[in-house]
Amino acid sequence: VKCQLYPPQRALQASAVLRRVSDEQKKEPLASSSQQQFDSHPTDHQPEKEPQGPRPSYTGQGGQESEDYESEEQLQHRILTAALEFVPEHGWTAEAIAEGAKALGLSVAAAGMFHSDGSELILHFVSQCNTKLSELLEQEQKLVQLGKAEKKPTDQFLRDAVEARLRMLIPYIEKWPQAVSILLLPHNIPSSLNLLTSMIDDIWQYAGDQSTDFNWYTRRAVLTGIYNTTELVMMQDSSPDFEETWRFLENRVADAMNMGNTANQVQSTGEAVVQGLMGAAVTVSN
Amino acid sequence: VYQVFESVAKKYDVMNDSMTLGIHRVWKDILVHKMNPSPGTVLLDVAGGTGDIAFRFINYVRSLRERQLQRKLKRHQNLSWQEISESYQEDKFKSLGDSQVVVCDINKEMLKVGKEKAQHLGYAEGLSWVLGNAEELPFDDDKFDVYTIAFGIRNVTRIDLALEEAYRVLKPGGRFLCLEFSHVSNPILSRLYDLYSFQVIPVLGEVIAGDWKAYQYLVESIRRFPPQEELKAMIEDAGFLKVDYQNLNSGVVAIHSGFKL
Repeated sequence: VKCQLYPPQRALQASAVLRRVSDEQKKEPLASSSQQQFDSHPTDHQPEKEPQGPRPSYTGQGGQESEDYESEEQLQHRILTAALEFVPEHGWTAEAIAEGAKALGLSVAAAGMFHSDGSELILHFVSQCNTKLSELLEQEQKLVQLGKAEKKPTDQFLRDAVEARLRMLIPYIEKWPQAVSILLLPHNIPSSLNLLTSMIDDIWQYAGDQSTDFNWYTRRAVLTGIYNTTELVMMQDSSPDFEETWRFLENRVADAMNMGNTANQVQSTGEAVVQGLMGAAVTVSN
Repeated sequence: VYQVFESVAKKYDVMNDSMTLGIHRVWKDILVHKMNPSPGTVLLDVAGGTGDIAFRFINYVRSLRERQLQRKLKRHQNLSWQEISESYQEDKFKSLGDSQVVVCDINKEMLKVGKEKAQHLGYAEGLSWVLGNAEELPFDDDKFDVYTIAFGIRNVTRIDLALEEAYRVLKPGGRFLCLEFSHVSNPILSRLYDLYSFQVIPVLGEVIAGDWKAYQYLVESIRRFPPQEELKAMIEDAGFLKVDYQNLNSGVVAIHSGFKL
């Protein structure tokens, strides 16, 4: 459980907006309050990787019982999640965030907490999608382990994983080019690159990749390339249900698989050639 | 303090320009940019006497609104003539889109100058002028989206009371913004700044406004005002969260921001 230290002078009495986490939790049957609860929250977004026990956020003086108050970070996550609804209309902008804040009953000025170009909103969305993908892959893996499903061949697995992840963009596809351009801004590149690499890493892990040699890098680079190019294709694809995109994806994955085979072939051909040359040299010398 | 501003009201703007060599306009622009108000924001500008912040706010919201309307119209390319004329009508009456500014000041003279300026510059819609004391605002709770106080908080006797009032009248999620002279940490700049403040400014005061004492008071009050970190702690004490400050001109002026969450 993360312990956050805040200066004790803050006497938070009735914080207008930061709700008690316990109120939120009362809404669903609590099986175990100490375990991670984000699986059971399809609508209410909880910050990923943070256990949902009561967070000791502020310690007010005079024995104020403020352990259950939600932290600023959680509130920010809630605002961003609410703002996603308004993205199709307003784009990935501070306006969408302002509308999100309004939807939660806060003043529109709360959008001032975030950068004015909407970066945090996009990063939040990407991070959310990645989490959903991880959960999906985790569930599939469980099914395979329980013997309820067949283990997919690698190319099928990669195709399905990338498709599932890209499908999450569909509701926002119109404004997605704008998002991509914002993510490429210098101040966003560290975060967006981070999210991208961890997602690719995740996919390979679930695909069963256990390499510890140079292959690790080539596999990730290849999949990143596949993912990015497919994303670009998707952005200007107008076919029904993005058929063109999935076909493109299939071809790219097949290419990648063949590349591996070709590399092996080249290697073995190379060895054969070398052996031939050695033989010729020996013959000549005799 | 009241008398100082009474005598100063008429020449206030001129003095501001000459003392700060016009940079105060840039500072105020930066403040409004930082605020980034969306249409529909209700602003309370305290100690805003001559209306500088209020006018900038109105301009900003107006241009945002225009852009919004343009975008809307671009999307609705296939409307019938009837629908287009209807949308024009309803939008004309709301050039500010529900945004409002309330300018509150303790000094009648400053408000008068402000009202005249507004008329002169053509600002009429969405603007109101209220006489009031920052330590005891004549407004109900949870009323405003943004509370600004530009170069006013150092003239308040009990800053903590003013901050508490600010907290009270802001809506949940509302933002507190304070633009004020502050502490220059760089020693070289500090020396130059002191030199300028104590030698040049009162002289300007005498020459332009005919009042040495008022500007002497001004410079001294700047020196006595708590520095950035202390003011930040005071704002946090009033209950604001995510309190932060941004130094402009390496500390000559600082913008403090806090949210009521």
